[in-house]
Amino acid sequence: MRRVLWVLILALGLAGAQTVGNEPPPDLPPKVFEIAKKLRCPVCRGESAAESNAGVTEEMRRQIAEMLAEGKTEDEIIQYFVDRYTEWILYEPPKRGLGLVVWLAPVIGLGIFGFGLYSYLRATSRRAAELEGISEEELARAEAELGRDDEGGAPS
Amino acid sequence: MNPGILGNIGLVLAVFFSVAGLVAVVFSWFLRDARYVRVARRSALLAFLGTFVAFGALEWALLTDDFSILYTARNHTSASPTWVKFATLWAALEGSILLWAMLQTLYTWLAGRKMRDYWTSPVALGALFVIQLFFLVNVLFVINPFTPVPNPPADGPGPNPLLQNHWMMAVHPILMYLGFVGLSVPFAYAVAAMVTRRYQTWVSETKWWLIFAWGFLTAAIFAGGWWSYEVLGWGGYWAWDPVENASFIPWLLATAFVHTAMVQERRGLFRSWNFALVTLAFAGTVFGTFLTRSGVIESVHAFAGGPVGPIFLGFLLVILAVGFSLLGRVSSEVRDVGSVNVWSREGLLLFGALVFVVMAFVVILGTLFPLLVEAFNGAKVSVGAPFFNQLFVPLGYAMLVLMALGPLLPWRRAEGETLRVLAWMAVSLVLGTAAGLALGWTLWVSLTVGLFLFNLVALGWLIASPIARKSRALGGVRAGMGSLAWTRRRYGGYLVHFAVALSALAIAFSQSYRLDVQKTLQIGESWQVAGRTITVHALRAVEDPHRYSVIADVEISGMGTRQPRLNYYPTSRTPFASPSVAYTLGKDYYLVLQAFDQENAQWVTLRLVVTPLVLWLWVSAVLMALGTAMILWPARRAARAAAAGEVGA
Repeated sequence: MRRVLWVLILALGLAGAQTVGNEPPPDLPPKVFEIAKKLRCPVCRGESAAESNAGVTEEMRRQIAEMLAEGKTEDEIIQYFVDRYTEWILYEPPKRGLGLVVWLAPVIGLGIFGFGLYSYLRATSRRAAELEGISEEELARAEAELGRDDEGGAPS
Repeated sequence: MNPGILGNIGLVLAVFFSVAGLVAVVFSWFLRDARYVRVARRSALLAFLGTFVAFGALEWALLTDDFSILYTARNHTSASPTWVKFATLWAALEGSILLWAMLQTLYTWLAGRKMRDYWTSPVALGALFVIQLFFLVNVLFVINPFTPVPNPPADGPGPNPLLQNHWMMAVHPILMYLGFVGLSVPFAYAVAAMVTRRYQTWVSETKWWLIFAWGFLTAAIFAGGWWSYEVLGWGGYWAWDPVENASFIPWLLATAFVHTAMVQERRGLFRSWNFALVTLAFAGTVFGTFLTRSGVIESVHAFAGGPVGPIFLGFLLVILAVGFSLLGRVSSEVRDVGSVNVWSREGLLLFGALVFVVMAFVVILGTLFPLLVEAFNGAKVSVGAPFFNQLFVPLGYAMLVLMALGPLLPWRRAEGETLRVLAWMAVSLVLGTAAGLALGWTLWVSLTVGLFLFNLVALGWLIASPIARKSRALGGVRAGMGSLAWTRRRYGGYLVHFAVALSALAIAFSQSYRLDVQKTLQIGESWQVAGRTITVHALRAVEDPHRYSVIADVEISGMGTRQPRLNYYPTSRTPFASPSVAYTLGKDYYLVLQAFDQENAQWVTLRLVVTPLVLWLWVSAVLMALGTAMILWPARRAARAAAAGEVGA
């Protein structure tokens, strides 16, 4: 019974893995994977066409290899997939339209967080300047006391 | 007695003692009576023992192949090897939340033992009891693994094959949960600090827990990377997969907080911001669970959906609401005072934290953007590795510069002597970059080499100059080094910084110079590639009780025979490639069996991935763990005495 099960699984599994009967898959030069890395696997989440072993990505890699052999450029090949799947297939969102939002947001985020830090530092310094009546000696003594508890202090 | 009954008894006891502990701390708070805190501590221990019993009951069911409960009937098979049976407990949703709950009760108990302040500890313990009750109630009522199965099957389907393909799966989730749960302790202290209006001391009280959690998160992320490298069969260690990102976000926020906590400890600054950071870091651990358990995202981590997603989302919102509503009061009361010189230790620490916060923002943005666009607009967009890589390159450089300079500068302001080494660092940066360019490396890789040397010079100076100074003062190098033993924690920090610089180097090279190629070879045929000769000697099949494997014997010249294989599991239609990696200090040779001749066993199709310096990534992970351990290890008596002598002298 167990063996029958294995045979069945093997038959099904191999049907999934090797779509073209018992023909060996094509040889793929490094350039194929470089291009495939920029395209997403249409049926997976979080995997590029270079990483996934789904049947559809094996087919994509075969197509890329064929087009490279025909002398097509990388841009032409990527355009071929964009025409078939829309720009969703690109792992790098295009820097225009909706895609531009995701590219600009980090810059805006840096600006907002940076400005937050800047205004915080300005406010604390202003309050420090307003504080009067603390002499340099007192400051120095406090500093020395702080320096005792291990950690952090400048290598002295 | 059977595992199902025992498990439920354990869970009920755990819930009972958690509620008892919660009631005790409420009494203690309102009656101002410290005796109730002692009661709460004992309840915390008993709650932990209850979850431990439940954990043991589930292991009992797994190891004795008892299929009378839901969890084993769905996720277990008697054909698994023993270690897989043991690790199956956290291979699916119910068991992994039970593990999380058990670790949470353990931390509540351990953290409670250390609480000395009878004013804040009722609140901190109360927060921890509420957090553990959330998990326990979920395990008991929503996703109970011990639910009896009316007609127990003779055998089950077994865990996800990807998870039984490598022993790392027994380790990585535990490390991750230890890190996630660890962040609950600083969060609970922060809540207590905000409630009791003691805004300053909580950071030093929870520093140990914070670094403990940070160490486990770091180890877990590297362990996950190594697992993908060894198992997933595409020769990479990080894919910016949403689930990887979900674990990276709390790490980034915790890293920012580790640094800003030092600023608060030392200068009493950044107090409101630290409350925000610790709340976000802890919320990040729940956010990751929501993302992966809710079915919003499909991946190897995404167990069956169900009601857990919305429940975790609710918990996430509660954490944020509690944290930020308390913070509202804090920010109106706390007025930090102190001028900060940008060119000082604290100035650079804050800029470093800014870099980590922006990194976290980028990861959150890139992960959620496709989901948000689809939800609001219906449009489909992809945000993948190229996006994250392009943004992390400049942020990573900023981090490398700041982490070298920060420890060099003294607090408050930089002075002449500390600045001298900067010239040497600048020289090493320029020389390293120029050397890289001369060797024909890309600008980005060369710059990373320069920055690695920049860090190396800084660390070398940090270590050597105090030794030299003490040796002069004490009249001998040995005496000088002996007197520095008590600063071990500082050296732990330096070691972690060194490991980060080393991993940056490994990442730059492995991402830039990777060769990926696929070829079909006849049995006996040789292939000249990447400076090696690859020969296929044989193709054979091996049958195990739980799987069936097809193995190719492939010789790489000078590296022996490798066995890449395809594993077939009864639950999966597609085979799982199990790559074979030849590790070297330079390049790794990574072989995947892609396909083979099923009829005559005459040919195999191999994928070869050659990647430089990946090994150093795992080395740096070990160094980071060592550095963290150095920071955490309690000071010995002799060392304390030495420290006291130092102060007295």
